[in-house]
Amino acid sequence: MPNTENSHSKGNIVMVTDGASIPDPRESRLINAWSIALAGAIAALLALCLFWPEPYREILSYLLPDGVLITFKITVLSICCAVPLGLVTGLGRISRNRFINLLASTYVEVIRGIPLLVQIFYIYYALSRFFLVSGTTSAVIAISFCYGAYMGEVFRAGILAISKGQSEAARSLGFNRFQTMFYVVLPQAWRTILPPVGNECIAMLKDTSLVSIMAVPDLMHCARSFVGTTYLYFETYTIIALIYLIITLILSKCVSIMESRLNYYDGK
Amino acid sequence: MTESKTAAPIITIRNVWKYFGQLPALQDVNLDVASGERVVIIGPSGSGKSTLLRSINRLEEIDKGEIRVQGQDIMAPENDINLIRRNLGMVFQQFNLFPHKTVLQNLTMAPIKLLGLSREEAEQRALGLLKKVGISDKANVYPAMLSGGQQQRVAIARALAMQPAIMLFDEPTSALDPEMVGEVLDVMVKLAEEGMTMVCVTHEMGFARTVADRCIFMDHGQIVEQGSPDALFNSPRHPRLRQFLNQVL
Repeated sequence: MPNTENSHSKGNIVMVTDGASIPDPRESRLINAWSIALAGAIAALLALCLFWPEPYREILSYLLPDGVLITFKITVLSICCAVPLGLVTGLGRISRNRFINLLASTYVEVIRGIPLLVQIFYIYYALSRFFLVSGTTSAVIAISFCYGAYMGEVFRAGILAISKGQSEAARSLGFNRFQTMFYVVLPQAWRTILPPVGNECIAMLKDTSLVSIMAVPDLMHCARSFVGTTYLYFETYTIIALIYLIITLILSKCVSIMESRLNYYDGK
Repeated sequence: MTESKTAAPIITIRNVWKYFGQLPALQDVNLDVASGERVVIIGPSGSGKSTLLRSINRLEEIDKGEIRVQGQDIMAPENDINLIRRNLGMVFQQFNLFPHKTVLQNLTMAPIKLLGLSREEAEQRALGLLKKVGISDKANVYPAMLSGGQQQRVAIARALAMQPAIMLFDEPTSALDPEMVGEVLDVMVKLAEEGMTMVCVTHEMGFARTVADRCIFMDHGQIVEQGSPDALFNSPRHPRLRQFLNQVL
C-alpha cells in the first residue's frame, strides 16, 4: 500500500449510524453475533415445528405465505417512496435557497415530532375525508413520509461528510452545482449513506407491524386475528418474533454485502 | 519575460478586496498576468496568496473590485462562470482527485460531460496527458492506490484535459513527502517550458527562481513587492520580504 498520508483520496469514511445493526462487512469469522442470532432463530423455529407440531405448525401455515407477502409489499413500496423523498429532503436541507431550506427543515421537524402510529391514523382519516383510500395505501403514504424525513437527515449528513475539496475540484473543471452533486458528491456520499439507509429500511420493515391496526392483513395482523380465535397468545407471538427476526437478519446481511461492494475504490 | 508583457493581459485584477468576517484577506490588490507569463506568488501563510488565487476562478467571491479573465468579468451575472472555469485549470494542495473514479475516468469525465467529446477521443487525450506526466501505466487504478506525488501529477493531467488557457496552482507540493516534490515540480517546469500561462502559489523557492517570469510577494493581504525572481531574491527592498526570505532560505 504505497499511499498512507492522504486521507482525502480515501473518500472520508464517517459513520453516521445510530447503532450497529448492520453486520460489519469485514467480519470474516464464522461465529459472530449475526450468525448466532440467525442460526438460533432458525433452530428455534424448526424445533418448535418439529417437536410441537400441534399449535406451532398450524400457526406457521396460517401466517406464512400471505402475511409475509403483505409485509414485504408495504415495505418495498414504502422504501421506493421514502428513499427518493429522503434524497430530495436532504438536498433541500442543504439548499442555499432559504425557502426550500425552510420547507425541508420544517417537514423534518414536524414529522420527527409525531409518533408513527399517530401519523398512520392521522393520514388515513385525513385522506379518507377526500378520497376513498385503502388502509394499505394510506399506510404506505404515512410510512414513506415518516421515513423520508429521517432519511433526509441521513442524506444530509452523508453529503456534508464529503470533503469540500471534492466539489471545489469539480467546480474548477467547469461542472455546475447540479452536475457536481450528481457526478461527484452523491456517488461518494452513497457509501456513507448506505449503512444508515439500510438500517432505516430494516427499521421500516419492523414498523410496518403498526399498520395491522388499520386492518391491513400483514404478518402482525394475521397473528392478531389468529390469536382472536385460538387464544394462543404466547405461541403465536413467539412465531411472529422469530419470523421478524429471521427476515431482519437476512436483510441486514444483504445491506452489509452491498456496503462491501461499495468499498471497491478503497485500495485495500 | 519582457516581450510577453506587451500583449493584452489574460488576467486583470483591479482593486480587489475580500473579507473573512471583519478580517480583510485581500486589500486593494492589483495584478496583471500576460498570456504565456509564469507568475509565482510567495509569502507567509495567512498572507492572502491562496485567497487571491482562488478568487481568480471564483472559488472565493471577492467583495470589491474587479477580476477579468480573457476580458470577461468573472463576477458579472451575465457571464457564465462555469464556462470561464473551463479555461482555468486548477491544481489543489490536497490533489482532490475523485476517489470513486479510476485515474483514466478522472481525466475523461469533464471532457466527456462538458466538452461533449466521445469516450474514445477523451481517452486518447487522457492517455496522452498521462504519458506526459509519466504515469501511463496507472490509467486503470483508483487514486487511493497512488502515492501523493503520483496523485498530484494525475490532478495536473486532469486539469489539462480541459485544455485550459491558464493553470492555477495552489501550493501543489505542500502536502507531499519531500522525496515526491521533485516529480511534481518536473511536470510543472515542463508545462512552463511549453508556454502555458501559470499562476502558482508555492513555498518552493527553487521553483520560483528557475521558472517564474515574475515573483509576487504578499503579506497581510497586500502585494508588497514584485519583480523578476532575481531582483526579489537577491536584492529585496521591503523589510518584510527580507525577513521572510531570511526565514525560508
